[in-house]
Amino acid sequence: MLIAASDNMLNDFRWILDVVQNMDVGLVVLNKDYNIQLWNSFMQNHSAIPADNIIGQNLFQTFPEIDCAWFQRKVESVFLLKNSAFTTWEQRPYLFRFENYRPITGKAEFMYQNSTFIPIKSLTSETDGICVIIYDVTEQAVNNIQLEKANNKLEIISKTDGLTGLLNRKSWEEHLAREFNRLRRYEEDCSLIIFDIDHFKQVNDTYGHSAGDEVIRQTAKIAKETVRKTDFTGRYGGEEFVLLLPHTEVNSAMVLAERIRKKVMNTPAVYEKQSIQYSVSLGLCGYSNNFKSRTAWIDAADQALYQSKQNGRNQSNIYSG
Amino acid sequence: MINELHEDVRDCLQEVSNVAMGQAGDHLARLLDCFVVLSIPHVALLSPSEIAMAVQNVDEHNVSGVCQGFIGGGIAGEAMLLFNDTSFVDLAKLMNYDLDLNEAGEREVLIDATNILVGALLRGIAEQLDIEFSFGPPAILGQHQGLDKLLSSKNVRWNQALVIEVNYQVEGYNIQCDLLMVITENSLERLMKKLDYLLD
Repeated sequence: MLIAASDNMLNDFRWILDVVQNMDVGLVVLNKDYNIQLWNSFMQNHSAIPADNIIGQNLFQTFPEIDCAWFQRKVESVFLLKNSAFTTWEQRPYLFRFENYRPITGKAEFMYQNSTFIPIKSLTSETDGICVIIYDVTEQAVNNIQLEKANNKLEIISKTDGLTGLLNRKSWEEHLAREFNRLRRYEEDCSLIIFDIDHFKQVNDTYGHSAGDEVIRQTAKIAKETVRKTDFTGRYGGEEFVLLLPHTEVNSAMVLAERIRKKVMNTPAVYEKQSIQYSVSLGLCGYSNNFKSRTAWIDAADQALYQSKQNGRNQSNIYSG
Repeated sequence: MINELHEDVRDCLQEVSNVAMGQAGDHLARLLDCFVVLSIPHVALLSPSEIAMAVQNVDEHNVSGVCQGFIGGGIAGEAMLLFNDTSFVDLAKLMNYDLDLNEAGEREVLIDATNILVGALLRGIAEQLDIEFSFGPPAILGQHQGLDKLLSSKNVRWNQALVIEVNYQVEGYNIQCDLLMVITENSLERLMKKLDYLLD
């Protein structure tokens, strides 16, 4: 029983009507032909359509924005299974497009809604209509969306190097670990390039640390412009950079390395109207299953870089074992 | 705390689920115009870590899951539906969805399928136990993930639960899904009482 039996059933009935009318949730009752049978004050106020004008009208004709096929499919399952159905704002932001309840300070341009469809039984216990309950979940939706945005932003921040916008060392190493594990299973071509700025300390000493930052930033920019979308570019240390090039044989990696080296050589960094000419040295190493760990692979590329430095800098060398 | 399930109780629950499944299968067949093959329900008391093991017939690496809470007559729980990721195209076909199967489209199919499958089964169970359940909206647990990740919860607040596991297959469609009805420990006593009526 919904309400206590009383001598004055009519009075109880009025109570229920009052509650239904005034609760701050949308209530719509539809018959089997999708004609509107009940339209409570929440619906009246938010749609600006008085009940008198809409009772008996067809739902889809009055609200052409409702996806008719989708809606009918939902309702069909309610009738047949005598079972509620749901739609949440994550599936569809709204069923009825209503203005945000807070038109002045609210952040959403419309009301996000969750809806429940429940079967309504007649006296003979046949399902002869459905009730659609509309919940305003704008606050929750806006909070969730903002939280997700903030989390995405944080995730990006936690993975990038602030100065250059490249991957930071930690996240680059995560990519390397993943790629390394994959390579051990399916032996494919893959190359590593490690490079650093020649005589970086002199740049700092001569032009100052801010100029040094500009040199680092420009080097990163050149690297970013030169690599392909599938490559991973990271800032490994102060003036040290790393590139992971999947599906790339080491001789092709050499072409890319030389492109970076020449571009750096031909593009002086400019800081406070001073032109700073500089160069980079690079070391390369292709993957081989001789490398038992990814650090061994990096060390090999590092040795090639050391060789470039030994041989007079501003050059690229491939690890020769 | 109830440490093990009495054989009578388990048999009874299995029978109740079986009858409910029969009805559900019939409803689904009419709604979806297809033949649904249902496994024999598996009933067990499980701890959180054992739940993943109860799941059969889905590829443990590529699963999408939805859960839906229900409560009524002092019995509360969650139904979890786990779909093999290979099921999506056929699932959408089965439900007459001609929408794009992008992430949002998949969510829609998942939620609607869950609502139908869970509702059909739980209604049958509720009817036999003479209770009525209220349902919360279905919520996505995760899409295209490993089963362990999907079911892992960092703050598990329960020690053991009654799990009824059912496997669904649809004839002529590549659809594999597992339904787990997980009933909380606190509900067990009430559930037993309800079952006692049936056993007498």
